[in-house]
Amino acid sequence: MIEVANVVKRYGTTSVLNRATFRIAEGQLTTILGPSGCGKSTMLRCLNRLERFDEGEIRIGDVVMKGTSAGAPSRSEEDDLIHRVRLRVGLVFQNFNLFPHLTALGNVIEAPITVKRLPRSQADEVGRLFLNLVGLSGREHEYPARLSGGQQQRVAIARALAMEPDVVLFDEPTSSLDPRLIGEVASLLHLLDELKKTLIVVTHDLDFAQAISDQVIYFEGGRAVESGSAREVFSSPTQPETRAFMNSFHSGRAGARA
Amino acid sequence: MAMLQRTGHRAAIAAVLAMFVSANVAAAQTTLERVRANGRVRVGIDATYPPFGMAEGGEFRGFDVDIARAIARQLRVDAELINASFDGVFPALQNGNFDLVISAVTITPERSGTLLFSDPYIETGQQIVVRDDSPIAGLGDLAGRTVGVQINTTAQFTLEKHPGISIAKYNTIDLALLDLQNGRVDAVASDGPVLRFMMRNSFPGLKAVGAEYTDEKFGVVLARGSDDLRRAVNAALWAMQESGEYTRIYTKWFGDRATQGTLDAASTALDPSLIARTWRFFLRGVWMTAAMAVSSLILCLPLGLALALARVQSNRILSAPAAIYVEVMRGTPLLVQILFVYFVLPSFGVNLPAYASGILALTLNASAYVSETIRAGILSIDAGQMEAARTLGMSYAQAMRRIILPQTFRRVVPPLTNEGIALLKDSSLVSVIGLTELARTGQELASRYAAPLTIWPLVALLYLVLTFPLTRVAEYLERRWRPVTRA
Repeated sequence: MIEVANVVKRYGTTSVLNRATFRIAEGQLTTILGPSGCGKSTMLRCLNRLERFDEGEIRIGDVVMKGTSAGAPSRSEEDDLIHRVRLRVGLVFQNFNLFPHLTALGNVIEAPITVKRLPRSQADEVGRLFLNLVGLSGREHEYPARLSGGQQQRVAIARALAMEPDVVLFDEPTSSLDPRLIGEVASLLHLLDELKKTLIVVTHDLDFAQAISDQVIYFEGGRAVESGSAREVFSSPTQPETRAFMNSFHSGRAGARA
Repeated sequence: MAMLQRTGHRAAIAAVLAMFVSANVAAAQTTLERVRANGRVRVGIDATYPPFGMAEGGEFRGFDVDIARAIARQLRVDAELINASFDGVFPALQNGNFDLVISAVTITPERSGTLLFSDPYIETGQQIVVRDDSPIAGLGDLAGRTVGVQINTTAQFTLEKHPGISIAKYNTIDLALLDLQNGRVDAVASDGPVLRFMMRNSFPGLKAVGAEYTDEKFGVVLARGSDDLRRAVNAALWAMQESGEYTRIYTKWFGDRATQGTLDAASTALDPSLIARTWRFFLRGVWMTAAMAVSSLILCLPLGLALALARVQSNRILSAPAAIYVEVMRGTPLLVQILFVYFVLPSFGVNLPAYASGILALTLNASAYVSETIRAGILSIDAGQMEAARTLGMSYAQAMRRIILPQTFRRVVPPLTNEGIALLKDSSLVSVIGLTELARTGQELASRYAAPLTIWPLVALLYLVLTFPLTRVAEYLERRWRPVTRA
């Protein structure tokens, strides 16, 4: 169970997260949906402790992160916290951030070797397993520059999975890809859903969210406006913001097609 | 004469250094006692001034060289000749690196204020050389003419007292004579014996005119406080006079039948046979330059890396000292750094031999530039790389070592190659502390054979040959990493 309670994140005087509060159930695919600038990516970075936040609390299982206004943690406390969060939560970046000097396999086994101290042969085995899972068998020794965008994303997913986190975060997984590949990403996410991982996907693409979500959190103005099962939120949104977003999304797309 | 004031354009630097350098002759032991105890007298000489001092590789010849050896025999010790550029010879003497300087140094009141001189051991004067077809017959005809001299020599200062003469200054006298041949100057003024040596060896189409028009006395130079050694040197000079040894040496170098090292006469034209005769000395110079550059390069890479890593930290306790170090090293001339390490550090108890001083100064200097190159490389790596590494649970140090630095090195190979080549060429500056590397070898041989036209292109070619392996290694690395860096 992930619990986010009253999280506030400010850059100077601007509040990016504004008492964000929501819960995410384990083993489900939850989408944080919302327009650009709504704070959903910042929320994701807070979940992974890439960003600290000012107020509120985030709980991921037994790991508790508190806002810094209650007193910033010491250097060693922070390091310890980061370590525990990162072992539990993986992140697939919007632009993947693959290590260009390492092969696909090198990208996947780097952290298991340096962080988990896995022996090379065992790490290789794990790496091949996860590359195989994301459908990249045979491309283990290619460098990222020689892979397509979709293949790079698969390497990034395998890299995150190789650390065997309970939670995997995806930041805008469709935005760096050719639109024709979006279906592939959706089926890949369904595949990961089978692994019973807790998946959290940040996106602004309503169609994509509808295709993949078990649960949906609609985000706007730095807070969770509405949350519930995908069926509930998409078929009968209760909040005016959610309805407005869905209407504008579809009318925008219709306009684009015309 | 010339050599005394031939402090060159670095005079100011040497003067500043001299202030730092205490005349630190330990009171416990007099200089003479030390010389006797060591069984050798260390003599500093700038061996680019034939026929007084010449060097080919480690071998010294010349009038001053013979005088030095004769004095040592009289003192019943060995003479250890140490080749040093004239710019550094007096600070080194005051610093205790030499016991004596015998290097065609004129006795002047200014020098006598800070140094000790023996009795004069030779008298000479300046003379004028012109082209064979020139109407100039002496000092009196030089008004309105351009005259070439060696920079900051007494030849220059004497001519400056004559209004209407425009003076062209050269680093070495063979270059002034070459320009006279080429017609850029109307005459050259310098010491009679040196001019006669040069013209006997080469420079066809030139002639000496008029008599020597100054009277200058050369003396053996000692640091202050070496009074007992001075008495011993004076006694030795008188004994040589009595025994006839002085006359033999004088006749050998300045007599009517003096060979004056003309055995291997060369011309100013390109002379391939000179290369055959001197290649062994060049080999030594190349070896010295390569050894200096490679040692410094190997040492400056880890130091530069450490500085770069310190500078990219947000913690100012680490980044500020590194930033200050880089500022100081980049903001001061390498030449001053070399002089500082060799001449000033000893007064803080760090007394390194010339070779180690040269490598240390080059390393300290190059590491500042290398650190900036590496720092720029680190900063050029997308911030997402560090985030991705940290997200996977790597510590900052692990992410730096395994993710950021490997990419950085691939990017900085071309600029680091530049640094390496610059370091190789900058290593020529260590000649100021008496290290006979490639450029200094060229200087010695160009004056020794009066053949700048042959020697300097060869020196340039050898530097090119030395840089070649560096560029090949860089090309190899770039080729090897191409599939990785291609986006």
